[in-house]
Amino acid sequence: MTQGSRLYFAVTLMCAFVSIHGVGLNDLLERASQLSDKLHSISTSLTNDLDSHFPPVGRVMMPRPSMCHTSSLQIPNDKDQALKVPEDELLSLARSLLLAWSDPLALLSAEASSLAHPERNTINSKTKELQDNIDSLGAGLEHVFNKMGSSSDNLSSLPFSSNSLGQDKTSRLVNFHFLLSCFRRDSHKIDSFLKVLRCRAAKKRPEMC
Amino acid sequence: MRNSGAVLILTFIAKLISQAAGVSPPGKPRLTSCRSPEKETFTCWWEPGDDGGLPTTYALYYRLENSETVYECPDYRTAGENSCFFNKNDTSLWVNYNITVVATNALGKNISDPVEVDVVYIVQPNTPENVTAVVVHDDQGPFVRVSWEKPRTADTRSGWITLLYQLRVKQEKDKEWEEYDAGMQKYYNVFSLHPDKEYMVQVRCKPDHGFWSKWTQTTYVKMPNYIPRERSLWIMITIFSVFIVLILTWTLNVKRKSVKLCLLPPVPGPKIKGFDKQLLKSGKSEEVFNSLVIKGFPPTTDYVDLMVEYLEVYDNEEQELVLDGKDLSEDCMKSKSLSDSDSGRGSCDSRTLLLEKCMEGREGSGSDRHQYSQHGETSWASSESSESQGPEPGSPESTDGRVKTWPVVFSSPQPQPHHHYQNGAVKPAYHSVPEILSHLSPLATPSNYHQLPPQQEGRFSKPACRHSQSYNQFNLDGVNPPVPGVSQSHSLEYVEVQTVDPQNMLLLRPLSDPNREPEGSDYAGEDYSRVKEVTSNNILLLQREMSHQCMNDYNQDLDSQADQCTTQQPPHPCKPAIHQLNSGMPQEVMRVMGNGYVDSTVLMPTY
Repeated sequence: MTQGSRLYFAVTLMCAFVSIHGVGLNDLLERASQLSDKLHSISTSLTNDLDSHFPPVGRVMMPRPSMCHTSSLQIPNDKDQALKVPEDELLSLARSLLLAWSDPLALLSAEASSLAHPERNTINSKTKELQDNIDSLGAGLEHVFNKMGSSSDNLSSLPFSSNSLGQDKTSRLVNFHFLLSCFRRDSHKIDSFLKVLRCRAAKKRPEMC
Repeated sequence: MRNSGAVLILTFIAKLISQAAGVSPPGKPRLTSCRSPEKETFTCWWEPGDDGGLPTTYALYYRLENSETVYECPDYRTAGENSCFFNKNDTSLWVNYNITVVATNALGKNISDPVEVDVVYIVQPNTPENVTAVVVHDDQGPFVRVSWEKPRTADTRSGWITLLYQLRVKQEKDKEWEEYDAGMQKYYNVFSLHPDKEYMVQVRCKPDHGFWSKWTQTTYVKMPNYIPRERSLWIMITIFSVFIVLILTWTLNVKRKSVKLCLLPPVPGPKIKGFDKQLLKSGKSEEVFNSLVIKGFPPTTDYVDLMVEYLEVYDNEEQELVLDGKDLSEDCMKSKSLSDSDSGRGSCDSRTLLLEKCMEGREGSGSDRHQYSQHGETSWASSESSESQGPEPGSPESTDGRVKTWPVVFSSPQPQPHHHYQNGAVKPAYHSVPEILSHLSPLATPSNYHQLPPQQEGRFSKPACRHSQSYNQFNLDGVNPPVPGVSQSHSLEYVEVQTVDPQNMLLLRPLSDPNREPEGSDYAGEDYSRVKEVTSNNILLLQREMSHQCMNDYNQDLDSQADQCTTQQPPHPCKPAIHQLNSGMPQEVMRVMGNGYVDSTVLMPTY
């Protein structure tokens, strides 16, 4: 074999090995945790930006948090419950939540540019960033799911029906804020679940957990 | 009716009494903060308002977001005064709590503003524990290793809560703390601490999304006394660089000259072949310029027969006199070699009459030295400018009288025909063409002419030596000089210099002379003028062969000493060209050839 073909063979072998074993689950979950952490941080800062110039009447108008479209999803409410949940269920919960937010975030992203808010540009850019991160995290969690080798993929469907935030600019702003608060909370849930999963998988690295 | 009225009155009276007594319903309490240390329980604190002088009780009520049920605080004691502790069972995550505090006393109650709380957003852990700082001795020097433990309540093991740590260090006397981020690890190595000093260390932590904990109690650590190695390194570096600087200085000193040459390149001096700067500095200009002399130039031959020299006269209306001393000097230099790439009109090669004014004056030592003065096309007009100029750049040198510049004879009327020519102390031996030409026998009267004031001391600016110019050249040594012709344009009129007689007179003949040898018959045309006659006033009267009516249109007094050369407007076909003659030469008969050309060769003066 010539030098070139030997090299090619080695590379192909390595690629095959990597694809079979792939990146370790620990690393995948580590990466997913980092992404979810970032997701929540961005949503928190977005909320702060919105709060800086929020009309007081908006707070009165704000819908209740129970009206978030993901509120129907049953999730553990405290630590004891959460630690009892098996990993694949935790993962599917995280993935379901993530999936439920891809459409609403698209709507938020579309509306962000025309928001009646002085921090519109920052909000717009951060919303776009949220969208990107969600896509990456979704893909990453898909890998984690495949890695974990669960038998069933029981993702809950959480439809988001609205396709507009409102008619007048105040209601648009208020609905924007409301949607964002729902997302902020859900991103915290995702983050928490993934970090629990991370520590559960990282038995070899106790110093991290 | 009466009862209600009575009640009202009683209440009013009670209020008055109570106000008089100093008691009142309680003031409004205020919820100050709620915190959860481990994301499993949380505590809320409030601030009581004014109690109104009466014993007041406080009650905290809360309601979850998705139900209307109001609960009261389960534990008022655990967290201390004016607090409410929610234990694990009562704590739900990702749910909003609507919390209010009610203050009650005998006279009334007061409700605080409601507060919405989500437990996961109010996480503030307890401080880290067991902070230790030990000195570790290493090859590079001792450092401090700070280690700690997580707060007891935080469950990081399961990943329920993730903590990030931070520590800070300072000496007792310092104002500012030095902060270090330790991430999720529970130890940190602190370097760059000064020897023999005591340091204070504190640690705190924060959840991934939450508030920083308080700083731990100070831990003290003392650095041992050691000699920092870095100092010796700096000493070495200093010595080395000093050494390098010394070497560089010494090298520069040795190579002083070449450095100087490099940085301050010398200004190039003039590069003139054969020019010796030293001689010039010494002040002997004659010797300097001797080297510039080209021996044997211009060719001084006695081939009178072969020489056909033309005196080019042109009457271009657009004659421009570019009279610039500088140009002159340059051109003097350039034309030194008299190499002319011109078409041949007016070039020295064609032995046209060339009069060049040179920058450097020359003694007439060299027999074959020629001085040339060049003047421009014709325009005397710009001679005004020359007038305004200072002394001709070249003139000072040539005020010895070497140079005589001949104005171009032009036939077209000039606006301001000032002639300036330079005439130094002309040696009587020098002849200018006009003089020579004045010897012409009156053959014809040129229609118009210009007259050159004799021995004018005025100055005329010489135009740049253009090959298309007309030049007059006179031979200092009596040798037949090449006569540059004026090669200006089609409007030039040529006069052929036939010979120079022993008296150094130019014998000119017009090229269009029918009696002329056939050689020059073609030249007869518009551009050439025929010398009609030479008047007694040393005026060369030229005439176009074609138009016979242009006769005697001009007549100018040579002695007028006027600087102006008036050119009258000739009738159209006439393009008179006038040569101004400089008197001073004894009149000699100029041999005028049959075709009207003056043979200048005859007229060359002898010396």
